Amino acid sequence: MVMVMPGSGFNSSSGFGAGLVGGVEFDEKDASSVSRVAGVEYTVPLYMSTVKAEAGGNETTAYLFGVNEDYFNLMNEEAEFGELFTKSDVSSKAKVAVIGSKVAEELYGDDENAIGKTVRFEGMRIKVIGVVANTGDSQHDTSIVIPYKTTFGSVNPDKTFWAIYVGVSSKEDIESVKEEIKSVLSKRYSEDDFSITEQTEILSMINQIFDILNIVLVAIGSISLVVGGIGIMNIMYATVTERTKEIGVMRAIGATERDILLQFLTESLILSVFGGLLGLIGASLTVLVVRIFFPASISLFAVIITFAISSGIGIFFGVFPARRAARLSPIEAIRYE
Amino acid sequence: MIKLQNVSKIYQLGEDKVEAVNKVSLHIKAGEYCGILGSSGSGKSTLMYLIGLLDRPSSGKIIINGDDVSKLSDVELSKVRNHKIGFVFQSFNLISRFTVLENVLMPTKYTKGKLDFDVHKKAEELLKKFGIYERRNFFPNKISGGQQQRVAIARALIMNPSVIIADEPTGNLDTKTGNEIIKLLESLNKELGVTVIIVTHEKDIADRTNRRIYMKLYTGTV
Repeated sequence: MVMVMPGSGFNSSSGFGAGLVGGVEFDEKDASSVSRVAGVEYTVPLYMSTVKAEAGGNETTAYLFGVNEDYFNLMNEEAEFGELFTKSDVSSKAKVAVIGSKVAEELYGDDENAIGKTVRFEGMRIKVIGVVANTGDSQHDTSIVIPYKTTFGSVNPDKTFWAIYVGVSSKEDIESVKEEIKSVLSKRYSEDDFSITEQTEILSMINQIFDILNIVLVAIGSISLVVGGIGIMNIMYATVTERTKEIGVMRAIGATERDILLQFLTESLILSVFGGLLGLIGASLTVLVVRIFFPASISLFAVIITFAISSGIGIFFGVFPARRAARLSPIEAIRYE
Repeated sequence: MIKLQNVSKIYQLGEDKVEAVNKVSLHIKAGEYCGILGSSGSGKSTLMYLIGLLDRPSSGKIIINGDDVSKLSDVELSKVRNHKIGFVFQSFNLISRFTVLENVLMPTKYTKGKLDFDVHKKAEELLKKFGIYERRNFFPNKISGGQQQRVAIARALIMNPSVIIADEPTGNLDTKTGNEIIKLLESLNKELGVTVIIVTHEKDIADRTNRRIYMKLYTGTV
């Protein structure tokens, strides 16, 4: 699959930053000129946005794709339930949609139930005619796919596309098709205003960026955890010193070394778990904001990991001050002023 | 009841060895009301901490109720302190974050296993008896010194100990309140048969006890 996108994009030395932003917006004329290039099997104009979809009182954020019927061939999509839309649906601007299974579940409870129902977004009422199988890819599973001509109007008044996807009949033709599309589009646009890339190039590029981002985030997170842990340790040392006399009294009335150790360990544990809880609340609020633009959620796994790590930090950094408290000699502690 | 045999405690202060307690042998019987007397620096506090099992002797044996406690582990010593010994301190040493009632109940929190009496009922009885029941939900800094010392005595009594060790219990109180506290300790000895050991440097207080143990200055002997 070859992608025609705005911006100087991925194949320029200026790097990723220049891509996706600015550049041209393609229209139907570009799509038809691309489709006439020799070796091109499918041409799919692609309109994309995020919408708040609603049905029967349920609401969810989804990716809206405006495409033609070749999209399903290009993506190797089949309907799990119902059917896909056809060429005549596209030309007649039919108000029909094929949706991802996650959207179906959020709006109608389950996949099969969605067929024949109506979904509303951006002031349009669209009939669900098909549901595509779950792939685990969140963008795919939270998509609503409709004929691109149906987007013309309230959703896409400029009748433009974000990209044009091209399917090539045989692998050997890819380079020549790329060259040919480039020369066709160069008649309308400057060469810096668009880019032609294979899907695999983009994928590896994006994966690389996310890998680096992940490493940076994990590094920052680990440093924060160590700094936070040392903070807890200092607070606990201060607490132990401040309460030395109290520890002496407790030992006098029968507390064992273990009692004192557990008491201070519990305190540092409560401190750190409370920190973890605050972090989760912060993350939830962030996710709530991000949800307006992209589908996002916090997994149960993340919650469990948060509590596990914050408890671990509390115990690890709490053990040293707690041990000092437990090992104080009772009489020295009582005499401490 | 409590027997000390040739007990010594030596502190290492820099180069010097300080013999705070030197080969002391004592026998305090159950139900006795006795005072440990001596000027400051005579080692009476050290002797008291040894009897109270807060410190271990450098040499010699401490025997309580026939058991040699010199060789007990920390857990076992803590258990003996918890069940058999009640401490009353000069500066009361109540925990300021807890209310009066919670302070009295503190020793019960460190008891492993079940107690054969209702601790709340017992705490309330003690507070009523000492005339501070109305103050049970106050924090220690909101009540007077005399009242705080009564709370401390109630805390010392909650576990039904056989010995109460009072370290200068009147040191932070005026004469009148101090007298009341001493009377209270006397009555505990008479009515409940609790062994009471008062550590003091005031002769008036010592004179009221039934037996006086004098610590000699600098030698650490009795």
